Amino acid sequence: MRLYARDLEVWIGGVKVLSGVSLDVSEGEVVGLIGRNGAGKTTTLHTLMGLVRPRSGKVYLERDGVELEVTGSKPYRIAGMGVSLVPQGRYIFPDLTVMENLEVAYGGRVPEGLLNEVFQYFPELGRIRDRLGIHLSGGEQQMLAIARALVRRPRIILMDEPLEGLAPKIVASLREVIKRLRGEGIGILMTEAGNIKRVRDLVDRVYGIDRGEIVFSGGIEDMLRDEAVRRRIWGV
Amino acid sequence: MDISLIVVQAFNALFYASILFLISSGLSLIYGIMRILNLSHGALYMVGAYVTYTVVILWLGLDWFSMILGYLASILVVGGLGILVERILLKPLYGKSHDLQLLLTFALILILDDVVKMIWGPEYRAFPKLPGFSIPVGDFQVPIYFIFTVLLGFSVAIVLHLFFTRTTVGKMIRAMTYSPEVASALGINTDRLFALSFGLGAALAGLAGGVAVPLYTASPGMGTEVIVLSFAVIVIGGMGSIKGALLGSLIVGFSRVFMVMLFPVMEIALIYIIMALILLVKPTGLFGMEMRERR
Repeated sequence: MRLYARDLEVWIGGVKVLSGVSLDVSEGEVVGLIGRNGAGKTTTLHTLMGLVRPRSGKVYLERDGVELEVTGSKPYRIAGMGVSLVPQGRYIFPDLTVMENLEVAYGGRVPEGLLNEVFQYFPELGRIRDRLGIHLSGGEQQMLAIARALVRRPRIILMDEPLEGLAPKIVASLREVIKRLRGEGIGILMTEAGNIKRVRDLVDRVYGIDRGEIVFSGGIEDMLRDEAVRRRIWGV
Repeated sequence: MDISLIVVQAFNALFYASILFLISSGLSLIYGIMRILNLSHGALYMVGAYVTYTVVILWLGLDWFSMILGYLASILVVGGLGILVERILLKPLYGKSHDLQLLLTFALILILDDVVKMIWGPEYRAFPKLPGFSIPVGDFQVPIYFIFTVLLGFSVAIVLHLFFTRTTVGKMIRAMTYSPEVASALGINTDRLFALSFGLGAALAGLAGGVAVPLYTASPGMGTEVIVLSFAVIVIGGMGSIKGALLGSLIVGFSRVFMVMLFPVMEIALIYIIMALILLVKPTGLFGMEMRERR
């Protein structure tokens, strides 16, 4: 499966947030979307997910050789086709337990087998399964946000700053999880604002985004070597 | 004062509180889940009253069996009406100014009042008597219908509680209340849940009308007084909280009934004094939570 956007132009509240954004993510690869805060990373993910409708441009989903236009489709329809979102800020449902957060995403009681599969990635979650979302630490919330995406057995996961604001130990274990998911054939599009080091050996390729425009596409080492791109994205 | 009078008035207050609870729980649900202040909730209650009246008095004859059928008809008709209203009229207004929703639900009051007049005429439609017998208490009588209504009110409270804490759909609605966008991005069909939530709230108003009509009679405009008190109930109890609707109904029901008996000039005023005091101490109401603004 492949999710891709062509020439997205998005306006929010009279401001042009994306112009001419095109990008792809396929099963089994980890793609980075690198840019500063406010560059348009979240809007890009939201447009792919159907949460934001572009003024022009298209979003497509290619599955089993069939190409489907999903521009402006309802998010739950896009989710139903195998795309999942791990939102920035995690958005764990605060008055539901860990198990219930998984239950609402799955759409019923999660079968034991699937549950074990998910808890294999995050054994910690298995031990706090009856704890309310509001009582989880930041790391636990992020694990649950990914687990919640996984119970739907997605082919592609959009992760919005999954490593942001977490302790180094948690970051390390999430990086391992992302690698394992790629090994399972899941495609991941993840955004990263500042800390390029922690995604350097994680991503297969990257897009650089600045002021709503894709300014680079290719390998991360090439991006780091490109003086002009570095100046646009990091100002150095 | 005569103890039997106090007992009878307590049943009166409980009966009144049960009706208020059925109405205000629906109002509170719709607000809590959808952030829609449904001004037409009282008009939906009125339609429920007419439907049960029609089934019981005009069609089947007054007995318990037809009462139950009347309630079911009210739930289905008003709940269905709610779903249609949400799908056809409210849905296009999501993401637009809240004023439009208020105007729309206000317009619905006027429309439903006229529809009711067209179908049933402008005159009052009263039950000849309450279903069931009465239990003598001292010099007074407590209708068994009061006791039935109180039990029904509590049962509905329990069923609603179980629905939101034990079923996946109930939990999905709670997830959607927190963030419709994220719920939708996780694959939850939020369109269907919005329609269901509004339908459920409307169905509760319909049931309330059916339960109230044997005592209060059906008339165009009967929803107006009750909607104002229901707003007081959910402001006291906390917007969006079922527990709050229950406690708020009891507070309003008891203070109203006993003020009528003790100090009638203050009957309505006391409710608003209580409301103001609670808002001073706890602005979100007794069981209310901070409401997040939606994008």
